[in-house]
Amino acid sequence: MTMVSGISRTVVVFTLLTLSLFGAAIWSLSAGAVPVSWQIIANTLFDLDGPRQDYIILRSRLPRTLLALLSGGCLAISGTIVQALLRNPLASPKIIGINSGAALAVCLMVIALPDLPITYLPVAAVLGGCLAASLVWLGSEVGKVSPTRLVLIGIAVGFLFDAGVDYILVTSPSFKFSTPLVWLTGSLWARGWAHLGLVWHVLLLLAVTSVILSYRLDLIRLGDAHATGLGMNVPRERFVLLALAVLLAAISVSVVGVLGFVGLMAPHIARSLVGGSHPVLQPCAILTGMFLVVLADATGRALAPPVEISAGILTAMFGAPFFIFILITTGKAEQS
Amino acid sequence: MTTGGWQHRGVPAGLLLITLFASGAAASLATGGRSDVGLSALLGVFGAEPKSLAQSVMFDIRLPRTLVAVFIGINLAMAGLILQAVTRNPLASPSILGVNQGAALGMVLALFFPAMSGSAVGVFAVTGALTAGALTFAIAGGFQGELNSLRLILGGVAVGAFACALVRFSFTLDDDLSRQVVRWTSGNIADMRWHDVGPLAGLSITGLIATVLLSHRLNLMALGEASATGLGTDPRITLLFGAVLAAILTGASVAVAGPVAFVGLVVPHMCRLVFGPDHRILVPAAALGGATLMVLADFASKWVIAPFETPVGVIAALIGAPYFLYQTLVAKDLE
Repeated sequence: MTMVSGISRTVVVFTLLTLSLFGAAIWSLSAGAVPVSWQIIANTLFDLDGPRQDYIILRSRLPRTLLALLSGGCLAISGTIVQALLRNPLASPKIIGINSGAALAVCLMVIALPDLPITYLPVAAVLGGCLAASLVWLGSEVGKVSPTRLVLIGIAVGFLFDAGVDYILVTSPSFKFSTPLVWLTGSLWARGWAHLGLVWHVLLLLAVTSVILSYRLDLIRLGDAHATGLGMNVPRERFVLLALAVLLAAISVSVVGVLGFVGLMAPHIARSLVGGSHPVLQPCAILTGMFLVVLADATGRALAPPVEISAGILTAMFGAPFFIFILITTGKAEQS
Repeated sequence: MTTGGWQHRGVPAGLLLITLFASGAAASLATGGRSDVGLSALLGVFGAEPKSLAQSVMFDIRLPRTLVAVFIGINLAMAGLILQAVTRNPLASPSILGVNQGAALGMVLALFFPAMSGSAVGVFAVTGALTAGALTFAIAGGFQGELNSLRLILGGVAVGAFACALVRFSFTLDDDLSRQVVRWTSGNIADMRWHDVGPLAGLSITGLIATVLLSHRLNLMALGEASATGLGTDPRITLLFGAVLAAILTGASVAVAGPVAFVGLVVPHMCRLVFGPDHRILVPAAALGGATLMVLADFASKWVIAPFETPVGVIAALIGAPYFLYQTLVAKDLE
C-alpha cells in the first residue's frame, strides 16, 4: 500500500516538475528587453505561418535557455554526488572550492593567453576545479574531520583562489577584465550556440553516466564497511564518482560562469520531494536544478529590462539563506 | 613561569614591531606615482609656506594615504581581537563573520539615497555591520547561550555571501553608482585626502582607548563564561560592548576604504603567538601590528606592479587567505 502511494507520489512530483520546467523555459524564451508572446515563440520554433521573431528567439534566447537547462542539470548532479559522497548536507561544488578553482584557471587563461580560442575554456576550468578539489581532499585527509570542518576547509580553499582571481583582475588592464567580470558573477549573458556546441556532448555523456551510476551512491551511503561487504571497491568508486562531480561542475562553470548554490539547493529540494534513494533522487534533482537556473536567468532578464541581473546573483540571494537554514537544521539534528 | 617567558620576549618583540612599523611607514611614504618624490620631502613639510611641488605631493597625497592605512589597520586588528576574545573562536574576524560585507551593504544602501552624505554614510555602514554580526551570532545559537564555533564561522560566511550578492545586485541597477561601488569593494585607499583622515582617526583612537578599558574583561572571557561571572563581571555585557565596538570600528574603516579582509584575522593571531594571551599587552601590540601590516601592504600595493596599483585589500587577501586555510587545518578547539 505504502509502496503504491510512494510510486504515485513520485509520478505526481515528476509530472509537476516537468510541467513547471516547461513553463519556466517558455517564460525564459519570452522575457527580456523585447517581450515575445507565446504564439510568436511557437511560430518561430515550429516553423508555422504568422509573425515570427527568428533573430531574438533562435539566435539569442533559445541557445541561452538550453544552456541554462544543461548547466542547471549538471550542477545539480554534481551537488547530489558530492553531498552523498561526503555524507554532508552542507556540501556542494561551490562550497568545496570547485567553482573558485575553475574561476582562477579561466581568469588566468583569459588574461595571460588571450589568443587561445574558447575551446580551451572547459579544459582550463577542469584543471582548476581538479586542483581545488584535490586540495580540499588532501586537507580533509590530514586529520579525521567532521562534515562541517570539511566545509570550512573548502571555504578556505575557495578564499585562497578568490584572492588570486582578485589579484589577476585588478592588475590587468581594464579592457581585458570586463569579460571575466561578467563571467565571475555567473551570467548567461551573450551565451550562444558556440558555447553550447562546445560542451553539450561532453556534459550529456557525463550526466548520463552519473545517472546510471547513481545507485552506487545508495551503497556508499550505507557506510564503507557495508559497501565493501556488498562487493564494492569503495575507494575506486568514490574516486570515479568524485571525478564525475568535479568534471560536471567545472565544465558547466566554464561556460555559464560561477553559478553558486544551485548544486546545494537542488538536491535538498529533490530529497524533500522524492526521498533519499538516488536512482529516483538524481533525476528529480536534475529537473530541479534545471528549473532553478532557467528561472534565475529569466527573472534576471524580466526584473528591470533592458538591464540584466546576473543569474548567479539571484541564485546567491536565495542560496545563502538556504545554506543558513540547512546549517541550523543540521546543527539541531547533530545535537539531538 | 610562562608569563615570565612572555615578558622576556615582549620587550625585544615590541621594539622589533616598532622598528618594523617605522620602516613600513617610511617605505609607504617614499613610494608612489612620482618616483622623484622621496622621503626628503617630508622634512619641513609642516609649516613651510609656500610648499615646493614635492612637499605638496607628500603632504596632500602620500601622508593622508599612509595615515588612513595606519588607522584602518588599528581598527581591523582591534575588531578582530575583540571578536576572537568574546566568541572564544580563533577564526573569528570581521571578514569571516560577515561584518565587513554587512558594512559594505549598508554603504551601498546609503549611496542609493542621495540625500545621505558625509557622516550618514558611516552610520549606515555601522548599522549594516551590526545587523550582519547579530545575524551571524543568532545563526550560531549565541542568543540561546550555546555558541557553536563552527556554525559561527559557516553562518558568517553565508551571511557574507548574501550581503555580497546584494552589493553585486546594486552594480547592475545603476551605472554611475556601480563605478563608485566598485571603487571600494576591493579595498582601495589610493585616493585618500585629509578630509578622509579626520573622522577615521577620531574613531580609531576612541576605539583603541575603549578596547584598552575593555581588556581586563576580555581576559576574563578567556576563562569561560562561568568563571567570568564568578569573578564579578557579566559576560553578556562584555559580549554586547565588544560586538558593538567591533561593528563600529569595522563600519568606520569600511566606510572609508571598503572591505579589507583578513587583517582582523591574521594580526591578533600573530600577536598572541609573540606577546602571549594577556589582553592588556595584546591590545596595544595588535594595534601596532595592524598598523604595521597595513602600511606594509600599502607599500606593496604601490610598489609591486608599478603602472597599475594593486588595491591594498587585494594584497591583504593574498596574505590572509593562505593563513586562514592554514588555521582551519590546525585549529583544534573547533569541534
